[in-house]
Amino acid sequence: MDIEAPVTQVPKHLQFRVALLLAVTLVIAVGFVVYALYARGVFQAVQRLTLVADNAEGVSVRMDLTFAGFPIGTVRRITLNDAGKARIEIDVPHDDAKWLRTSSVFTIERGLVGGAKIRAYSGNLQDPPLPDGAVRPVLRGDTAEEVPQLVATARGILENMERLTGTGGSVQATLANLQTLSERMAGRHGMLGAVLGSDEQAAKVLGTIERANTLLASLERASTRLDTLLANTDRRVLGDGGVVDETRKVVVQAEALLGDVRGSLKKLDAVLADAQSVGSSAKAATADLGQLRAEVDESVRKIARLVEEINRKWPFQRESEITLP
Amino acid sequence: MSPANPLLEWLIGWARAVRFAGLAIATAMSPSAYRPETRDVALKQIYFTAWQILPGFALFSTLFSLVVIVISVNTARDFGLEQYALELILRALVLELIPLVTALFVALRSGAAIATEIGLMKATGELERMQAAGGDPLEREFVPRVAAAAVSVFSLTVMSCAVAVALAYTVMYGASSDGFDDFTRVVALVFGPAALGGFVVKCVVFGALVAVIPIAAGLHASTRLKSVPVVVLDGMVRLFFALGAVELFALAVKYI
Repeated sequence: MDIEAPVTQVPKHLQFRVALLLAVTLVIAVGFVVYALYARGVFQAVQRLTLVADNAEGVSVRMDLTFAGFPIGTVRRITLNDAGKARIEIDVPHDDAKWLRTSSVFTIERGLVGGAKIRAYSGNLQDPPLPDGAVRPVLRGDTAEEVPQLVATARGILENMERLTGTGGSVQATLANLQTLSERMAGRHGMLGAVLGSDEQAAKVLGTIERANTLLASLERASTRLDTLLANTDRRVLGDGGVVDETRKVVVQAEALLGDVRGSLKKLDAVLADAQSVGSSAKAATADLGQLRAEVDESVRKIARLVEEINRKWPFQRESEITLP
Repeated sequence: MSPANPLLEWLIGWARAVRFAGLAIATAMSPSAYRPETRDVALKQIYFTAWQILPGFALFSTLFSLVVIVISVNTARDFGLEQYALELILRALVLELIPLVTALFVALRSGAAIATEIGLMKATGELERMQAAGGDPLEREFVPRVAAAAVSVFSLTVMSCAVAVALAYTVMYGASSDGFDDFTRVVALVFGPAALGGFVVKCVVFGALVAVIPIAAGLHASTRLKSVPVVVLDGMVRLFFALGAVELFALAVKYI
């Protein structure tokens, strides 16, 4: 019977306490159900917006439509239409419908983490409001879809890098060449050795330069001598007693000679006048003619000699030889 | 009673529990079950199962919820997923953890007591005397207790969940009404008609199980007092198993 003792302690106001407990429970339960219905927009006037997408992946019922980061609508249904496009039906409360205009653009964006996000962008809030039951296309941007492509590209790049930098790769070969080059540059013949590939080649080039220098020195000497030669030539040709001087003298002589010739011709004129005017003593005249002829012949020979001498002495005559000292 | 096949015994125990549940449901359907005597039994059972433990359970439930909420919110903030923290709390804590924890709490507090009481009634012959006096123990004792346990578990769960929802709001947004719109959106997301209906059904089933399985186990006691601890132990193990199975089933229906 001592077990029965605590069980039989029936409290006072038992009915009231139990009724209070049940009433509180009921109030909380009903209150929460009403709140949940309110939250789901049961008591709210809404307008319907239908978005048509190629792919509704990641979109789920009760997902939000956001505008500037604020939820303004809720996805109610997702169906597939006859054209094979996804129809996303969205309820937008009348209070929030003002953010949607006829020019609004809708996008579905999908990040790496979390579900898709449906966003609305209204460029111009002065445009006419979106009517109830409007059907709009939706643009889609999917990060997850781009990832495999990105990874494939990145892998290609990495493989190329590996090939370039790996053993026997171009980069290593280039670096080895660069090292050889820098070693040669640091060597005895410096940059020349690096450019020509070996010290022997560099030595050959240096020898060539040496010989060229010697050659230049001897050429310089030769040109000095040539200068002297030209000066001498100048002197011989143009100086006192030179070719030109001699020529000038010959010309003076020729002038004197021509003066003689002219005198002889005058005499001939006089003789011819005499011959014309005096025809009687022809024999005497003939004797005079014989003497005169001898004089003329002499003059002509002098001229011939002079011309020959000029020809010989004139330095620029083509046929003549000028022998330099 | 031969200890021949433990598996067979185990299965027979379940069959007894199922049979008793069927009988209890059938009795609850009959109008003759609703009499002043049965109402008194039910009220007493509710008083002992829910009202008496309310302060202790409220404290336990509040602390438990607070710890889980703070951990969830802080972890989500660390990972930059704060927007999912509230949904996670409502789905995991309010819809799943609190009903299960409440049922376990009531099972420990009242399930064991019910099994012991029925076992003793059976062992001391009280049930037989009742039947001899023309009273149906199923109708007069068992069904009111089952109904009372179901109501009690539902009531405790609803109160704990209300506290948890309030705590979740406070931890997320502080003591201001600024987060109300955001909060309402998440509530709309989580508490659809299916979720709410499932929640109510699960709570009632948990509560009924808390009474049905211990009573079925208690009825299996022999006339010897020594058999009572054995049937109580058996009933409690079955009860935990049944609660786990119901929770798993509910999760499977919801998420698979």
